[in-house]
Amino acid sequence: MSTRPTKPRDTTDLAAGLLLMAAAAFFGWQTRELEIGSSLRMGPGYFPMLLSGLLFILGALVALKSLGREDEPFGRIAWRGILFILPAPVFFGLTVRGLGFVPALFVTTLIAAQASVRMRPLPALGLAVAVTILSTLIFSYGLGLPFRRFGPWLGM
Amino acid sequence: MDLLNNLAMGFSVASSLANLLFCLIGVILGTLIGVLPGIGATATIAMLMPITFQLEPVSSLIMLAGIYYGAQYGGSTTAILINMPGESSSAVTAIDGYQMARKGKAGTALSVAALGSFFAGTVSTFLVALFAPPLTAVALKFGAAEYFSLMVLGLVMSVALAHGSVLKALAMVVLGLLLGIVGTDIYTGTPRFTMGITEYADGLNFVALAVGVFGIAEILRNLEDESDREVMTKNINRLFPTREEFREMIGPVLRGTGIGSVLGILPGGGAILASFASYTVEKKISKHPEEFGKGALAGVAGPESANNAGAQTSFIPLLTLGIPANPVMALMIGAMIIQGIVPGPNVVSEQPQLFWGIIASMWIGNLMLVVLNLPLIGLWVKLLSVPYYVLFPIIMAMCSIGVYSVASNTFDLYAVAFFGLLGYLMSKLRCEPAPLLLGFVLGPLLEENLRRAMILSRGDPSTFLTRPISLVILVMALAVLVLVFLPQIRKRRDEVFTESDA
Amino acid sequence: MAHPKLAAALAVALTLAGAASAQDYPTRQITMVVPFSAGGPTDTVARLVAERMSGDLGQQIVVENVGGAGGTLGAGQVAKAAPDGYTLLLQHIGMATSATLYRKLAYDPLTAFDYVGLVTEVPMVVVARKDFEPADFKGFTAYVKENADKLTLANAGIGSASHLCGMLLMQALQAQLVTVPYKGTGPAMTDLLGGQTDIMCDQTTNTTQQIKGGTIKAYATTTAERLPLFPDLPTATEDGLPALQVGIWHGIYTPAGTAPEINERLSQSLQKALADPGVTKAMADLGTAPEPAENATPAALKAKLGAEIARWQPVIESAGVYAD
Repeated sequence: MSTRPTKPRDTTDLAAGLLLMAAAAFFGWQTRELEIGSSLRMGPGYFPMLLSGLLFILGALVALKSLGREDEPFGRIAWRGILFILPAPVFFGLTVRGLGFVPALFVTTLIAAQASVRMRPLPALGLAVAVTILSTLIFSYGLGLPFRRFGPWLGM
Repeated sequence: MDLLNNLAMGFSVASSLANLLFCLIGVILGTLIGVLPGIGATATIAMLMPITFQLEPVSSLIMLAGIYYGAQYGGSTTAILINMPGESSSAVTAIDGYQMARKGKAGTALSVAALGSFFAGTVSTFLVALFAPPLTAVALKFGAAEYFSLMVLGLVMSVALAHGSVLKALAMVVLGLLLGIVGTDIYTGTPRFTMGITEYADGLNFVALAVGVFGIAEILRNLEDESDREVMTKNINRLFPTREEFREMIGPVLRGTGIGSVLGILPGGGAILASFASYTVEKKISKHPEEFGKGALAGVAGPESANNAGAQTSFIPLLTLGIPANPVMALMIGAMIIQGIVPGPNVVSEQPQLFWGIIASMWIGNLMLVVLNLPLIGLWVKLLSVPYYVLFPIIMAMCSIGVYSVASNTFDLYAVAFFGLLGYLMSKLRCEPAPLLLGFVLGPLLEENLRRAMILSRGDPSTFLTRPISLVILVMALAVLVLVFLPQIRKRRDEVFTESDA
Repeated sequence: MAHPKLAAALAVALTLAGAASAQDYPTRQITMVVPFSAGGPTDTVARLVAERMSGDLGQQIVVENVGGAGGTLGAGQVAKAAPDGYTLLLQHIGMATSATLYRKLAYDPLTAFDYVGLVTEVPMVVVARKDFEPADFKGFTAYVKENADKLTLANAGIGSASHLCGMLLMQALQAQLVTVPYKGTGPAMTDLLGGQTDIMCDQTTNTTQQIKGGTIKAYATTTAERLPLFPDLPTATEDGLPALQVGIWHGIYTPAGTAPEINERLSQSLQKALADPGVTKAMADLGTAPEPAENATPAALKAKLGAEIARWQPVIESAGVYAD
């Protein structure tokens, strides 16, 4: 896809390298309050500092090597997936104690089901009901896991 | 012969009708729960353990062992079918197993895993029976310096896990090491990288990381373009390996068994390395290393055997020292204590029935697993014909439950979402998750043992070279390094344009 | 999430309802939070008593393991739970030491809980690698004082039983050994067995079998009297080190504001459980014994917690070790 007249470069690797360097900088910045110690008596910051530095160098190398190379297509991004898949476990975490296992799992499944354009509302509802009932039977009744089925927010 | 008498006693204990039944129930339950996505062996055992408390001690432990094998195998099944490993070991299986599944060879991958595990299980059971006490003596020679060197060897090997750019694989290992540091420093109590969140004081949850970077990233990839109808080939022509494939798996299975058995004995976390080490070895000696990462049979057969062998021999430190080699073994100790058996060096002599009964049941459990699972493979593979848009909400529900059940920590669920995003980003940037995972697992061990070795040697770094076992391992690491990088450097000139994964 | 105000209102309503119905408590399943992972010694103690208490209360007590941050996560969770008697906490001596070890604790150990009673106090034993030179505890103290800088003292991590006992030992001997922390008792014990470290002081739960097997050497117990398990083993007190008295005591707590009748009811149930011969036997196997009925009471636990917080504060502060 080298349509531009500029010098060839591998945008993906360039991005990867830069992101790695950013991550390294972040970790390095986080170690600033940790005591480094000496190599004989290492402090909590010694190892992380070493690794942050190493990661920064590796990131820089990845970025450097990306120059002078052909690009490879980045492909589509699953925005809808990101929008619905990732919040599903977060919702479960936020509500499993308050709402309880049953409603939290039901909504979690429902949220995740929205990630596909091929999932119609009614089947999604049916799937969420089925998953909730089966999981409650297996995990709560069958295995006796200490989940509250309905939590305090529901007044139960 | 003593050994034969002992084994005979063991089998007579383990093959009482009741114990056989408990073993079978354990294997079935373990498989069924372990096969749920995001629920690995540790979570399965933690969930199922209370069921066994009501039983006789021997029966209870036999059933637990059955659950353990079942869960291990169930975990590999999900790794192969939907790229969702629940343990560090099945993360390796996922690399090539999932690619096999995508090519319509899910059945082959599953049966290779089952047969390899069974063989490894049989051999290592006898190893446990024959050599448990002397092997323990060797394992105790491993101090902090030796473990540090071992972890270095593991890290060097990890680069071979990648099938793309070595440089990026190294970066992923280092990123994994950094993520592994999150939590409280055990030497000073200082929280590191926790952002002030107490819930992360004990580190990030491994299951959250594995589920995120492998499983959820894969779901997102599959959701990129839904008009592209099939995620999996439906054309699954064969469930069992051909004669040729059989021949192909013999070598990897034998080597995997050896590697796994040796590493499993070390109580300080050697078993973690088993499947990684086997994968590296197979890739290195394979005539077609380029197939690894794209569905190589040896990449499933070797690590699965190594993993099962290691799982088996990690009972050695438990039974002879009363010391757990991994979280699963810690749960087993808990179960023993609740049964009134405090594990320790005397279990063999004071409770021979128990000791040999468990050993015999290990083999019986492995046998049941094969008998049970070979027919089930057809069923598992059928799961793949469930439309993907139905499958993934179920996966999300199950892994939410699984991750939460490990420690009842809701922050682990937030970590799942974060690592899902990270994993997806990594896949878009063509960075591979397996080296990251290995770094994450080894990071804490590496640092902990490095610092401990320095404390024990009073700050003398030559301790790594003057202790003979440590020196040998370090030399091996150097050899692997040369083997990995030499071809890379030689090839460099031919690859100016296509260094990344072709 | 959802409506925090509504949730709070509901919680208040629930509390009132809970107080009103204290007479017919319990009417549903009770959760006992153990702030450590399943299978550990604390979890074992919890499951032992939970099972017996369930029988007496007529409702199942399920054990929930909420591990993390030295037990402070699980404790914090119970501190925030509704004080209706359906969420209990079983925690050990860490309840008292965390008050000093953690400077940023999300709750106040002294005011966030009500008390049910003491469960058991696990004794500790000073042990060393099996080829450690001194023959008895008197020789041990002299040898350690003389060679302190050459000796290593293992522990299972900050705040662990072995760490606490180790601090006391060093303070009692006025010797500064090289401490080697581990992640948990398992690896610490492995290295002691392998002779990689020299000394450790740990609960009988972890040491009994190894001492009996001759894989480590026992020097003294940290109890007031000799243990029935090891009648020949002296106490540190009788051999000239009275400062080294420590036991890992376990107590059951409820969130502050729980109706006194409920705590009383739970306490009675606990006393019955502790009197059960099965519990006595199981605890004896672990090298410990159930607390007598007069200690399995709210008053006894309250007094113990207060005294122990006061006792450990100077010890921890002078060692200068904190867990956050």
